[in-house]
Amino acid sequence: MKSAIRLGMVVVSVLAVIGLMAPVGALAAEAVKIGVIYPLTGGAAAEGRELRAGAELAAEIINAVYKNISMDMAKSQGIKSLGSAKIELVFKDHEGNPTLGADLAKKLILDDKVVGIMGCYHSAVTKTVSAVCEQYGVPMINDSSTSPDLTKRGFKWFWRTTPHDTTFTTDLFNFLKGLTEGKAKGVKAVPKAQIQNLASACEKTEWGSNVSALIESFAKEYGFTVKKSILYAAKSTDLSSEVGSLKAVKPDVMLFASYASDAILMLKTLKAQKAQPKVLWGQDAGFEAPEFKDTLRDDIVGVLTRTVFLPKVASVKKVAGEVDGFYQKKVGHSLSGASARAFTGVQAWAAVLEKAGSTKPADIQKAANAIKIPADQLIVPWQGIQFATSGEDIGQNILGSGMIGQYQKDKDGKISLEIAYPFDLATANLIFPFPGY
Amino acid sequence: METLKSALDFSDFPRLDLVVAGSLAILFLIFPVFPHSSFAMATMIQFLMFSLYGMGWNTIGGYGGQVDLGKAQYVGIGAYTTTVMLVRWDIPFWFSMPVGVCFAVLWSFVLGYPLFRLKGHYFAIATIATSLVLKDLFEVWDFVGAARGLEISPIKFPPPDFLRLIFKEDVYYYDVILGFFFVGILYMNWFRKSRLGFQLRAIKDNEEVARSLGINVHWAKIKTYAIATAFVSVVGSFHACYIKNIEPEDTMSLDISILIALMAMLGGAGSLWGPIIGAGILIPLKSYLKEWLGATAGLIGIDLILYALIIMVISAFEPRGIWGIVQKVRRRRQ
Amino acid sequence: MEILLSALVSGLLLGLVLALVALGLTIIFGVMDIVNFAHGEFLMVGMYTGLLTAQGLGIDPLLTLPVAGAVGFLLGIVCYFGFIKFLLRGPMVAQLLGTFGLMLFLRNLALLIFGSEDRALHHGLLVGKSFDIGMGVIVSATKLAAAGLSVAAFVAVWLFMNRTRIGKALTATALNRSAARYMGIPTERMNALAWGAGGASVTIAGALIVNFWSVNPFIGLLFTMIAFAIVALGGFGSVPGAFFAGLVVGLIMEIPGFWDFFMFTFNADWMAKVPMTSFKYMWVYLAYFVIMVVRPRGLFGWKH
Repeated sequence: MKSAIRLGMVVVSVLAVIGLMAPVGALAAEAVKIGVIYPLTGGAAAEGRELRAGAELAAEIINAVYKNISMDMAKSQGIKSLGSAKIELVFKDHEGNPTLGADLAKKLILDDKVVGIMGCYHSAVTKTVSAVCEQYGVPMINDSSTSPDLTKRGFKWFWRTTPHDTTFTTDLFNFLKGLTEGKAKGVKAVPKAQIQNLASACEKTEWGSNVSALIESFAKEYGFTVKKSILYAAKSTDLSSEVGSLKAVKPDVMLFASYASDAILMLKTLKAQKAQPKVLWGQDAGFEAPEFKDTLRDDIVGVLTRTVFLPKVASVKKVAGEVDGFYQKKVGHSLSGASARAFTGVQAWAAVLEKAGSTKPADIQKAANAIKIPADQLIVPWQGIQFATSGEDIGQNILGSGMIGQYQKDKDGKISLEIAYPFDLATANLIFPFPGY
Repeated sequence: METLKSALDFSDFPRLDLVVAGSLAILFLIFPVFPHSSFAMATMIQFLMFSLYGMGWNTIGGYGGQVDLGKAQYVGIGAYTTTVMLVRWDIPFWFSMPVGVCFAVLWSFVLGYPLFRLKGHYFAIATIATSLVLKDLFEVWDFVGAARGLEISPIKFPPPDFLRLIFKEDVYYYDVILGFFFVGILYMNWFRKSRLGFQLRAIKDNEEVARSLGINVHWAKIKTYAIATAFVSVVGSFHACYIKNIEPEDTMSLDISILIALMAMLGGAGSLWGPIIGAGILIPLKSYLKEWLGATAGLIGIDLILYALIIMVISAFEPRGIWGIVQKVRRRRQ
Repeated sequence: MEILLSALVSGLLLGLVLALVALGLTIIFGVMDIVNFAHGEFLMVGMYTGLLTAQGLGIDPLLTLPVAGAVGFLLGIVCYFGFIKFLLRGPMVAQLLGTFGLMLFLRNLALLIFGSEDRALHHGLLVGKSFDIGMGVIVSATKLAAAGLSVAAFVAVWLFMNRTRIGKALTATALNRSAARYMGIPTERMNALAWGAGGASVTIAGALIVNFWSVNPFIGLLFTMIAFAIVALGGFGSVPGAFFAGLVVGLIMEIPGFWDFFMFTFNADWMAKVPMTSFKYMWVYLAYFVIMVVRPRGLFGWKH
């Protein structure tokens, strides 16, 4: 008993020492602190890791000189207009919990005295965090949440670099329309009747429920029929009744908005129940998480996902190739939509700070509203970054665009994403219809 | 008058208790004056909120001995009433809060009647079930924002606004909840000496005997359940204005229900100070352990492991909670 | 018709699997009248054991069942002697609190060791296989195997409880603890045995269901809740009760499927608008609540 107590005391004191030591490392001189709130644990931890790696890579490139990367921010050390101050990212973990996110934002603003905030991936969390930032008048750049409503609230301290779901869903329906017109690479025009019936299953929080509503409204506009739309809990352990319900309407096209673990579960269940859609499309997030590919392997050949970045972009865009090479060296795999967007978010922060030449919120606000980052600086295939300053989408990057990728198997049996849309950028013949199981 | 006197009368406690309680009360009052981090402030507010939740739980769970694990549904009712009324019809907090209490109490009567036919584990698990049913309903109810939840926009409701309880600085929230906290203590002090309080303890000791003494056991339980509900609902309304964003997963999750019960049980169910001690130890412990060990050191989950160990040790060796330990030590001294 | 049949079949299969999960809880509850909040975490331990053993040794996941069973048995015994024994002296409040602490402990230990990601099996005799059994009904091979094992496990436990000496001693302990002690039954050891058997049965279930569900550290609580519902529906402590209640719960969880059937049969468009799938757990809880209030003993319970 005594020795047990002693052992316990040793464990506790070791832990206490670790706890005391940890924050000491965070002291760096005169760095510009940006608070970054991501889901580092919880159901979306895999995406969180990607996001973090992307953001860290961007900070690294900003803070040092890299001759072999043809970006402005790689040519100098730190932020020039701030006396070469370095960017320091302060990471916090919101676990996918909006309330925790808001708490962390307050803490970053008041205790850590960050200049600005970036994050948060989950739209629901971005919603609460941006509300805190708005209240305190601290600028926030959102790199990775795509619920359209976020920029429709008239906030003055909120900017978003990534395109949002209205753009992505338009892409989807243009893709479907293009399919019927024979525009898709390697596929003859498909009679519309063959892909007339849609069914969607989306996770039920802020992001998914918005996607679901968007799909319904666009389907009406483009003349498709939504036979069934389901909202489900991303934390489900079993989706068989959801899949059964989808299958029951015999849809030609199945559309999903899922985070990583539920996307995997969904596809597994679809396979187990031998669902036979002709098109299977996912709204990014879980559908392009690395573990989605690693876990499901051959089963996802033919699955489509919207994204803003896929490794094939590296072969068409020089900067993307350079950064991707650097990222691969560091992390071991290629950039994904998540990491590319986090990278771009930090890059936007650096550009804004460079332009502002000060860390005062008002100056940053002015700089953000006036900034224009040209396309050749970005790794993502957008026309640039420029935020809307009026209209109903205030703070939204108006130059962003989306893509649709398809998982295909190459000659070596490796599974990777090929560009399927925009049609003129397509890198491979589209697999249509979905091969099924 | 008699009621007030009874509420203010703490004379049956040993002097040491009163000195400690009094100095803590003064400390709480002057806490905002000291320089503090926003994290400390947030932790204090959490502590006060959970103390109040715990006090509410303590009426039925502690004095009455009915382990209720479904309090989150009333947090939700309070929070949703306030938010919906504010967002849809611009009705301020101080009006919507009592309305929320009314809704919550009504709902508690509806549920309480069948619930209290059950006993022990059966009751405990049934309360969880009811709470989860309500959560599932709220998750598809579009009027209250379904699973997306509702947001109190900082643009539409600019701070500071005492009537709507919208502030920028946490210190105002602290003052408000501290006020509730003191009122809560006074109420609990009255409650434990009230007729109902004595009836409940009789029921807890032996229901058959209580019934033979002419106590309407079923009705006494339902009444107490409603009181507990009112407490929780008030704090739920406060929670909505403080967080400014509510969703079913956040306000009605099983975790909240269990945490509420946990605080009170760990501190010492059935005593006036129990829930406060429980919240006072668990909330800071949880916040700071997570801060020191969780994210920073990269040891995810270790904070909750320590937390779980404390719960396990206390429940195994001193089931009457921390207050039980205090009393044991005291008795040994004497 | 096709929809109705597949809903029926998948509901029954799911029900059998869930009954298997609840079996351990009903043994423990029956013998010692304690609600184990950590039940789902035991299942999670079983799932991780199955997954890691299969991946680590490169064997078929089905061969890991005995390993998982042994781990579960040990875990149950250790938990009993190291912790639960002390809880039994306290009031019910302490028992709830204690097993809740155990749940939190196991869950976060798993989080610390394995991280929060979902993990799943890729290879195995049954993984990802399914057959068409005609009439448009598709059955996943693993679920079928799990359901088969469930039936076998229930029969085995029932025989054990009613036909063997130790089993009868267990039953006696459950019926009347002090009387059992006077009869010379070592009740302490019986309790430990119940925890061991309960633990083993649920970890075996875990090692089997990891063939078709992925595992993460947070998976336990939902299963705990469903297991509670099943055990309560069937009557706390009743083994056959848990079996039938499992089937009932499985069918309840397929309500969305039945709803679809009626929707197509009556061609009722309004029915498509109702988000039935969002309610699938709600019906379980509701059924549980109603049964508890109307018939607190449960469907087959003998203990109140």
